Amino acid sequence: MTGAVGTVSRDAEEHPRAVEGRAPDVFSRDGFVPMRQWPEEEPVDFAIVGTGCGGGIAAAKLAQAGFSVVAFDAGPFWRPLADFASDEREQDKLYWLDERISGGNDPISLGSHNSGRCVGGTTVHFQMVALRFRPEWFAARSRLGYGVDWPVDWRVMWKYYAEVERACSISGPVRYPWGPPRGRYPYRAHPVNAAGLVLARGAEALGVPWSPMPVATVSAPRGKSPPCAYRGMCKIGCSTNAKQSILITYIPRALAAGAEIRDLAMVARVETGRDGRVCGLHYHRGGQWRYQRARNVIVAGYAIETPRLLLNSASPQHPQGLANSSGTVGRHLMVHSNHAVWGEFDEEIRFYKGPPLLAVCEHWNYADGDPSRDFDGGYAIMSQGPLPIDYASCLVSNTGVFGTELRRRMALYNRMAGLKIVGETLPQPENRVTLAEETDGFGIPKAHVSFSYCENDKRLFRHSLRFMDRMLRAAGGRNLYESEATAHLMGGCRMGHGPDDSVTDSDGRTWDVPNLFVCDGSLMPTGGGVNSSMTIMANSARIADRLVALGKRGEL
Amino acid sequence: MSDFRTPYPGYDVLAKWASPSWNDQTRQVVRERLLNIPRPRFFNEAEWSVLTALCDRIIPQPERAEPVPIAPFIDAALFEGRGTGTRFAEMPPDGAAWRQGLAALDAEAALRFGGRFAGLTAERQDAIIAAAVAGDVTAPAWEGLPPRRFMRGLVLLEIVAIYYAHPAAQSEIGFGGSTSPRGYVRLDAGRFDPWEAGPGIWPDREP
Amino acid sequence: MVQYRSPCRGSRVRRPDPPHGTAGVRDGAGLGTVLLLAGLGLFAGAVLAEPAPVAPDPSLRNLRRGATILAGSVMADSAMEHFQGSYHNPAMYVGPMAAAGTMLATLRGGDRNRASAARTMQGAATMIGLMGLGFHGYNILKRPGGLSWNNLFYAAPVGAPGALALAGVLGLGERRMAGSRGPERREDGRILGGVVGASLLVTTAEIALLHFRGAFHNPAMFVPVTIPPAAGAALCLAGLRRPEAARRHRLARALLHLTALLGPVGTAFHAFGVSREMGGWANWRQSLLSGPPMPAPASLTGLALPGLAALREIEGGMDE
Ligand SMILES: Cc1cc2nc3c(=O)[nH]c(=O)nc-3n(C[C@H](O)[C@H](O)[C@H](O)COP(=O)(O)OP(=O)(O)OC[C@H]3O[C@@H](n4cnc5c(N)ncnc54)[C@H](O)[C@@H]3O)c2cc1C
Ligand code: SF4
Repeated sequence: MTGAVGTVSRDAEEHPRAVEGRAPDVFSRDGFVPMRQWPEEEPVDFAIVGTGCGGGIAAAKLAQAGFSVVAFDAGPFWRPLADFASDEREQDKLYWLDERISGGNDPISLGSHNSGRCVGGTTVHFQMVALRFRPEWFAARSRLGYGVDWPVDWRVMWKYYAEVERACSISGPVRYPWGPPRGRYPYRAHPVNAAGLVLARGAEALGVPWSPMPVATVSAPRGKSPPCAYRGMCKIGCSTNAKQSILITYIPRALAAGAEIRDLAMVARVETGRDGRVCGLHYHRGGQWRYQRARNVIVAGYAIETPRLLLNSASPQHPQGLANSSGTVGRHLMVHSNHAVWGEFDEEIRFYKGPPLLAVCEHWNYADGDPSRDFDGGYAIMSQGPLPIDYASCLVSNTGVFGTELRRRMALYNRMAGLKIVGETLPQPENRVTLAEETDGFGIPKAHVSFSYCENDKRLFRHSLRFMDRMLRAAGGRNLYESEATAHLMGGCRMGHGPDDSVTDSDGRTWDVPNLFVCDGSLMPTGGGVNSSMTIMANSARIADRLVALGKRGEL
Repeated sequence: MSDFRTPYPGYDVLAKWASPSWNDQTRQVVRERLLNIPRPRFFNEAEWSVLTALCDRIIPQPERAEPVPIAPFIDAALFEGRGTGTRFAEMPPDGAAWRQGLAALDAEAALRFGGRFAGLTAERQDAIIAAAVAGDVTAPAWEGLPPRRFMRGLVLLEIVAIYYAHPAAQSEIGFGGSTSPRGYVRLDAGRFDPWEAGPGIWPDREP
Repeated sequence: MVQYRSPCRGSRVRRPDPPHGTAGVRDGAGLGTVLLLAGLGLFAGAVLAEPAPVAPDPSLRNLRRGATILAGSVMADSAMEHFQGSYHNPAMYVGPMAAAGTMLATLRGGDRNRASAARTMQGAATMIGLMGLGFHGYNILKRPGGLSWNNLFYAAPVGAPGALALAGVLGLGERRMAGSRGPERREDGRILGGVVGASLLVTTAEIALLHFRGAFHNPAMFVPVTIPPAAGAALCLAGLRRPEAARRHRLARALLHLTALLGPVGTAFHAFGVSREMGGWANWRQSLLSGPPMPAPASLTGLALPGLAALREIEGGMDE
């Protein structure tokens, strides 16, 4: 485990804040709100591992339904107004920086690229793009002929998208050009910044639609959130509290409904009883190992930590790891390919202003019949707005430039614009999370992540590079260069139709252990060509409702 | 070889220090960065001399009497075990990779030019760095350390992350710098708020 | 241990921490800020100023006050909006200046010597306002997306220059009414009622657009899109009645009074809105531009007062 990373509020990184019957008030600089606490010796109805899209929503909705809930997060409990600096390096403290081993033919970068660690999870530093899946993707195999079908109907998901969009006050366009009609977004779209208008000009020149991006930051005041101040530092945490992260939406609701949040609490093992059911979990907090008893456990640690925890919870009853009798835990891990094209413009674009991704072109998620289409799946193209270090990292790792030439190219920062895809990759069993030999500071085996693109993935991103090249040129870009990266994680504990090739049923209940659930991004059977959080949130809200219904029927 | 010119001479993100663009926590972070340069604790003397020479070539700052310090922060991050979240399977852990890589650069210098890396001319240092970035090195000391991955996935990333965290570097590229509580109002191309850098000087552009 | 020179001697941190609360007023002020302050000053002056020397009857007084307030509101609003647009086109200075001109013309143009100059100024403001409509329309259409919701929200405000034209028209109207008597006067009142009533409806459309942009996040935001159009409609209806049937229009009058009240009340709400921006009033250089427009609600008062004047004439000066 890494020690405190930041300079500001090191205390929050070193000592739990949610203790003694109170938790940090995220809308204040130093205040608290009351928090109900549950004893460790008595089993709580739900112990939840993780407080991101999956865990945060489950905690709020289950507590609201009257269950006793304790949610654990390995990371700190921040107050954005006081703890977040306008500084990229300081804000590294939001990421999961513990070492993970990355292999395969196309090893992926972790940390800042895809994993957060704090109460609120990855949404505290996500870039707020709030898109819905294309309906057909929920039946990718039967309707589009690739991947697998979700065990959920798109119409149900559509209803839950609307619920979480309301809960997070998404600011989106009055009319969204793709897919079936959706209700009106709760808030209006933001103005499109210069970087977004580059995408717009390119799209209009090539004759494809574009749209202002629906994003999870408010365009008008909402409760204690002021409207977005267009400071552009969303990826390193929003110190305005305009960003509707899980930390400032569902977590306060969970606390108000009587859930307990335990920050700086790393869960190492889920314990199984002799009957094979889970009965509690071991976690490390405040310098010591502790044990919480629970009637049900929900694992929501995201696509690497969820499989890691299940694999590390092997017991005589579950020798291959919890819920892993089929050997599926950790498999079918997916990313989004994040290939990009960058170019210089005559005018100063200054893409550091405003939320980084304010315009989108989903054309290639929907254009099934296009003759140039030589791949399955889809991709969305987005305008870009990296902060200096982020942009410099992209520049050097993709071009290897150094010296005066590096400084010269960085000095073009204000005249750059870029287009980047969120590109679907196919679920493959060999892209997976396993346990390494080495252990971390808690003595838990490190995660080993293996990833390789398949031929279809490569055809997809090559297609996108050709298209974005034309688009950026049409918008006036010169001296183009390409970059590659990945973003987002999905799968690893996928839900499905049967116990042979999936880990859970459509309720997130593991096939092997009836009182063990998964509720996060690792459930996703396919990745789609849009950012993942809204789909994870909608799915989690759906699962939470199912759990409440099961509880009412006495089937928990 | 000072052929770098900033398009924004005279612009300084620190000039906004007392304005609403800066909040207390950002001031605290940047003050700490400017005043408390960590002393080296991780690298030994030989490694340190290669490291400082390397940093000087990755980010040459001949125009500055007081160059932006880089090596001390690399050292501190390794000493404190500040991770990046990723270790590529083909690579040793970060600290070991740095140690081996710096030694390998020295070995490569001996092999190609018969000297220590730190003692070579700038051109020769650049030649070795370029070869490593391209994966085109031959010294046996690279065994077990893929040079391309080492340079692009670790060295360059860490150096730019430290350099562009410094106000002087942010000023030279015309970045807006700290932005809280005050953000931005004018988002269109070629428009800027009074608290941003004015228009840059672009020799390639007709006025 | 390695010895090395601290590269940070002669620290770059020249400025000490400012004490709490003083940050914010340090950077130099832009031209727009100057204009803005000047505009607010003039506006305040206009509201407080004594009417011109010849004591006009209550209708004329209301008409003149309304025209002045409307012009002041337009002046401050366009000064701020165009400042936000960095006055990137010199033509953008014309709007606030024309508004200032017609405001002064209405305010001071009562005496005979200046009458024709004032009339010219008011006519020019009307023309400039009408041209502004074209400019703003072009600005919207030329952006990617063309006639789209986002461009209507964030590009040049589509109907705003209309208010400038109206300020000019009202000023001219006052001049005309001052010279008319009896049935002629009454006919003027009806025309004025129609113009003001229609303007209230158009203004409501613009308020609705902007409050929709703000997602009607506060229920109070519905008030200015319900009362003013009702007042406008009632005024139009009153004007349509045949003069023989002269009678009181209590509802129209009440609605117009409420609309007039919405000016100060709306301004207070907008001030509250500015305080809810990040940094609030301490960050006024951003908040005033990105928050709700402070000078805008006054235009409702600027329309309601001429509306009351029109109503009085329609009623045949019945309150005398
Ligand atoms: C830089 C970046 C930008 C992104 N931008 C977007 C975007 O614009 N739009 C979008 O839709 N998506 C975006 N995403 C992706 C999105 O944020 C994630 O897909 C989503 O948050 C995942 O939700 P989750 O609940 O599955 O996991 P998380 O939100 O990651 O939550 C998991 C939580 O579990 C905790 N945890 C894990 N293991 C343990 C353990 N053993 N014990 C205790 N706690 C544990 C972690 O600390 C973490 O807080 C972005 C991601 C990144 C990294
Ligand atoms: S741009 Fe908006 S959402 Fe992003 S950090 Fe700034 S205020 Fe927050």
